[in-house]
Amino acid sequence: MWISDRVVAHLRDVASWPALPEGRYRIVRPVGAGGMGRVYVARDERLGRDVAIKVSHAPVAGTELDVRLQREALLLADLEHPGIVPVHDVGVLDDGRLFYVMKRVEGRSLAEHVATLTSESDVLSVFERVAEPIAFAHARGIVHRDVTPSNVMIGSFGEVLVLDWGAARRLDDEEAAGTRIGTPGFMAPEQADGRAAEITRASDVFALGALLSWMLAESHVKSPKRLRAIADKCQAVAPADRYVDAAHVVRDLARYRSGLAVEASPETAWDRCSRWFVKYRTFILLIAAYLAMRAILAWAR
Amino acid sequence: MCAFPLTHQSVLERVRANDAEVRRLAFGVIAEGYWRASYHYLRLQWRLDPHDAEDAVQAFFATAFEKHYLEKFDPAKARFRTFLRTCLDRFVQNERKSDAALKRGGGENKLSLDFPGAEHDLAQHLFAPAADPDAFFRDETIRSLCARAVTAMRQSMVADRRTRAFDVFAHHDLADDESSYAGTAAALGLTVAQVTNDLHFARRRFRELALVELRAVAATDAEFRAEARDLFGFEIPD
Repeated sequence: MWISDRVVAHLRDVASWPALPEGRYRIVRPVGAGGMGRVYVARDERLGRDVAIKVSHAPVAGTELDVRLQREALLLADLEHPGIVPVHDVGVLDDGRLFYVMKRVEGRSLAEHVATLTSESDVLSVFERVAEPIAFAHARGIVHRDVTPSNVMIGSFGEVLVLDWGAARRLDDEEAAGTRIGTPGFMAPEQADGRAAEITRASDVFALGALLSWMLAESHVKSPKRLRAIADKCQAVAPADRYVDAAHVVRDLARYRSGLAVEASPETAWDRCSRWFVKYRTFILLIAAYLAMRAILAWAR
Repeated sequence: MCAFPLTHQSVLERVRANDAEVRRLAFGVIAEGYWRASYHYLRLQWRLDPHDAEDAVQAFFATAFEKHYLEKFDPAKARFRTFLRTCLDRFVQNERKSDAALKRGGGENKLSLDFPGAEHDLAQHLFAPAADPDAFFRDETIRSLCARAVTAMRQSMVADRRTRAFDVFAHHDLADDESSYAGTAAALGLTVAQVTNDLHFARRRFRELALVELRAVAATDAEFRAEARDLFGFEIPD
């Protein structure tokens, strides 16, 4: 019997698919792989719906990857937020690998989506919906530690989801500090240097600032000085010079969008006048026009 | 529970057995696992003609059995597959030097092997030596392993009256042209749910039987685990 190279490769692939416990879940196809595991679309036979199943690469219980995946499942179960994919189930395969079952989300990564953002408003709308689940996690004492464009998914209906919480940890969990985790370009200096004990909410703030800068650059949107100041404050080298947490980033962005003074950019009198002018320019122009008309009428008399 | 045996005597231990019958059977397993890859290797890498390649394969396994070649395998130095290929290379080199009979075949220990079938399969290859002989021999061994697993799978699924599941598997997973679940369902007059259910069952069976085949020809337990990891990307539990 002749089996072609393509078929051999395919058979090796399907044989590598996890043998889930009989009965409930049936693997349909793989959809992606990351450092910690591979993700499959599967059918939940009991509830008659498609789900996503993440299976760890590491087979032996107690390995670092398995522990991280288990931690990710437990953290996600604790983070019920519209911007975070909910976990439905968790289990162990016959070969010792851990798997957990999530809501299936269809969409594309922010890295693919960013080119469709054509205005500052588009960029900030998406960015805020990335920062909000991070702020929610921060409020629960959890840091993500790997906020990058590839870990943000834009769903079919425009929903924004922060994915891959495998590197996340609770701030009070010293065992989970781990080694250097993160993505170059988005890692805070303390993360890049492997100073795990110094990783705080401000480390995620750095990543959010890097993400905002990246989104503005990739979408070719002109960024005003005050918006750049927000991104820069997020990316300050010293954690103490950054926003305390993601909630503060969200609040400062809201102030920026409302035309108010932002924490990131101390104002001179001239800055304040400029901002007031921009914010109230219609009103100011109307008054100016009215005054000009009065002046012309007075002169005519 | 896994459907494949996790603890059994390795083929290397059986090849080294004092019991002649155990040893002969172990050799049969090795020959079954590696003869086709050996034949293709000799045809393409050594450019032997079909008759010489057939005789060389027969003579190699017969000589290896008689002269206890394989007992010298040291798992610490290489994989068994690499060791076997090296033995095959040396054997053909020596035979050529001594101008001896590649023609002599296997003598009394001649194996009953499907050489015409192997020659037919060869027509699917680009008829050129591979840049990396070891990779070529490895790929041929894997191809042969998959083919044996599929053959065993067909037999077991016929016995279990799951022929429809095998047909779905053959149409969807064994064809050279990629097919969607919907395409397979339409071609076989089934629903997509039937197709995905049958594939789920058949792939699971394939995986179990591929591991059985792999276990049979791996020289040691450690090699079996390493091969399973390399081939299928998962660990065999202790």
